[in-house]
Amino acid sequence: PLQLLQGKTVPKRLKTSQRIPREPQMPRNLIKEIFRHFVKMPVTRDAFKVVEKCSEKFFKQLSGDLEAYAHHAGRKTVEAADLEVLMRRQRLVTDKMPLNVLIENYLPLEYRKLLIPVAVSGNKVIPSK
Amino acid sequence: RRRMKRTAPRSTLRKIIKKHKPDLLCYKAWLYFTFKQECPGVVVHLNFLLFLHRLAEEARTNAFANKSKIIKPEHTISAAKVL
Repeated sequence: PLQLLQGKTVPKRLKTSQRIPREPQMPRNLIKEIFRHFVKMPVTRDAFKVVEKCSEKFFKQLSGDLEAYAHHAGRKTVEAADLEVLMRRQRLVTDKMPLNVLIENYLPLEYRKLLIPVAVSGNKVIPSK
Repeated sequence: RRRMKRTAPRSTLRKIIKKHKPDLLCYKAWLYFTFKQECPGVVVHLNFLLFLHRLAEEARTNAFANKSKIIKPEHTISAAKVL
């Protein structure tokens, strides 16, 4: 049969540079890393997938809440105060556990500097008032 | 043991919020990041960290209750339902 002799036509490769626009999402590795850091136990692969889905839902809820808070205050911009109120409702921030302590415990120094005054060497406090 | 990566993916966070609420100006202060006091983006990241922390704790207790040495999907699912 002739058809076999003709040889297969190799399909042209698609351009590799075509980027498919993806839904923005937290980097998987980061989620994994953080979760593993906190759990301190072996975790199966499927469990990580569940964690990813959970974090997606978390962000969905978060943005809805933030919008509600900002609208309530008659603003269109989310401010730090909105987030504090949100975290108070999540019972992350309480009277015993103020936001600054959480920031101190969980965030690295570079971000801490931006949020709360930190004493540095030379008897200086950043940011200076 | 490697240390956890500590940087926050700030632009990704912004994009995520943008996806859900396109008309919410979360990050007006973004360009003036270093000058302005309040930067909600980092606090959002903090919030996310704490959320994962809680989820992790919850999943761990579930695993312990089932006398399992590793965390399986059902543990995390039931943990997520609690939160």
